[in-house]
Amino acid sequence: MPRNGKLVRITLALAAAGLVAALAVTSAGAAGKRSAGTLNGAGSSLVAPAVAKWGSMYSADTVNYSPIGSGGGISQISARSVDFGASDAPLTKSQGDDCHGCVQIPWALTATIPVYNIPGVGDRQLKLTGTVLANLYLGNITNWNDPAIKALNKGLNLPDKKIVPVHRSDGSGDTYAFTNYLSKVNKSWKSKVGCATTVSWPTGPGGSKNPGVAALVSSTPGAIGYVSDFYAIQNHIAKAQMKNAAGSYVLPKISSIEAAAQLVKGAKIPANNKISITNPPKSKKYKNAWPMSTFTYVIVPTSSPKAAQIKAFIKFVLSGRAQKAIQPYVFAPMPSSVIKAANKTLASIH
Amino acid sequence: MSTFDTTSETVRRPFSGRRARLGDVLLQGVAGTAAAGAVALLGLIAYKVVDGSRLALSTFGLGFLTHIGWDPVHNHMGAAVFLFGAAVTSLGALVLATPLALGIALFLTELAPRWIRAPVTALVETLAAIPSVVIGLWGIIVLGPVLRDHVMPALHSTLGFIPLFGTPSPTGTGIFTAIVVLTIMILPIVSSISRELFLGVPSELKEAALALGTTRWEMVRGVIFPYARGGIAAAMILGLGRAIGEAIAVSMVIGSFDNGISWNLFNGGDTPAAKIANEFTNASGLEVPSLFYLALILLVFSLVVNTFAQIIVRRVARRQGLAAR
Repeated sequence: MPRNGKLVRITLALAAAGLVAALAVTSAGAAGKRSAGTLNGAGSSLVAPAVAKWGSMYSADTVNYSPIGSGGGISQISARSVDFGASDAPLTKSQGDDCHGCVQIPWALTATIPVYNIPGVGDRQLKLTGTVLANLYLGNITNWNDPAIKALNKGLNLPDKKIVPVHRSDGSGDTYAFTNYLSKVNKSWKSKVGCATTVSWPTGPGGSKNPGVAALVSSTPGAIGYVSDFYAIQNHIAKAQMKNAAGSYVLPKISSIEAAAQLVKGAKIPANNKISITNPPKSKKYKNAWPMSTFTYVIVPTSSPKAAQIKAFIKFVLSGRAQKAIQPYVFAPMPSSVIKAANKTLASIH
Repeated sequence: MSTFDTTSETVRRPFSGRRARLGDVLLQGVAGTAAAGAVALLGLIAYKVVDGSRLALSTFGLGFLTHIGWDPVHNHMGAAVFLFGAAVTSLGALVLATPLALGIALFLTELAPRWIRAPVTALVETLAAIPSVVIGLWGIIVLGPVLRDHVMPALHSTLGFIPLFGTPSPTGTGIFTAIVVLTIMILPIVSSISRELFLGVPSELKEAALALGTTRWEMVRGVIFPYARGGIAAAMILGLGRAIGEAIAVSMVIGSFDNGISWNLFNGGDTPAAKIANEFTNASGLEVPSLFYLALILLVFSLVVNTFAQIIVRRVARRQGLAAR
């Protein structure tokens, strides 16, 4: 047994030596990386594929992004444990105060879309209005052959099937865009439910994250849900046409998202960059506009030791090349007026 | 291994006193630090949870426990839906899992041919090693539709007069699906503890019973079950604790409905653990302390469950005069 004791001690000594060596190697590695430049970000999962694409194109610094959710990104940047945060919903007043000198800059433009699973109704066949959609989710319309839906879809053979409105069970930017739109088009939605990343749903089951909603909708005849456009394409779920304020039925695609973003062209963009482009007003200009389009934001402190690096990266993101590169993930290029406002805010970082 | 080492060092002390003492001090130090670390960690977690929930505690008070609904837009949160969901899903899972687990344990210790015991034991225990996110995915893609298309309609048509078995869920998610998923998850815990307990029943007792002419079932009922009773209760409570704390799998199949309580098991519901897993990363404002409040309730609940388990085990042990167990 004493030999065994010695063995234990030798093992311990070896382990300690190994640990020291490992620490030395990792710290050397980290130091090596730091000189090449690292930017750490966290937040929205919606924008994650875009940030990954940008990171792979950007050579000046290594960009690490953790898609932990918009709220998580906001709290991490408020604690300054990351270099930038990302959120799908603009900062609320209290979030802005807690962040102590942060600015939000719009950096990508995308859309949330209603998807459905109705036996006998194919992709892009169903037509909906905002009011009908709100009433589906309020539980006022409960069957697919309801006269209100039939009136919009003459010629479609709508079955006698119970409607199952599926929502996101986790807080999300998609929920923000969706409820933001419904609040604009339906008064009773606005007063009863409201608009946020998490709301109190009057009826229907929840699915976890985009894949959870997609899975529930595809496995449930009679279901309707809402997801990021990227997920609808990936999962081959039927997308609905929406009637916009201008009175035309539109499908979600890059051009209809861009059309909605024209809303910011004439309007003055506020200093805090809070832009909502859901439900563009009744005008011929927005004839092709998708009513549930949304900007997503990067949140950065106005002053930080890495300000120059952060600035350079966001400058790159706002470039035409970077905006174009994320189109395959169904992000539309941001209009020039938004890019201009974003660059203006960016200039205030030092 | 380490205890073995120390005893031998102690025995050898007369020959190499100083070195052995150094070893003892080291052992004492390392083991003591580890133990103190665990206690401090629990204290730290408890402190953080209480500290984090302070704002919700002062805003909602005890009314939080009875309020139905979770509305961050209008800043009104309550735990009633989640407490109801946790109680129903975990108790339901326990009711389903216990007889199954006892059956498995009996089969593996008393009934199965010897060559089959080791592989089946290993397989049952592998069930515990499946990540909960995988069980959740399987639950939503495979189990849910099967329950929806076959099990729920059958239960509704035969037992529909009981309010628990109302209209089947159109999605296949809901409290009932969560119960089935949790049953699968706690089954290996309860069954492997029960198996150990049954193995510990002295064979003289079993043989004596059989020698008296009892059937196998009478022997199981008269010898094994009474002997292992306290242990089985403790195993059930451990399973209950696991079921209450499970977050990911439950969040995927329970249907996340936070706006009402229904006795129909096929409807959606929610649990505190699932809500925290779903919401925490995206929460802001008063919702964050409210989630901490839910965590506080979970923490208190699991402390109570663990204390109960220990009390039961101790009481039964005393009654049986097995002070050592």
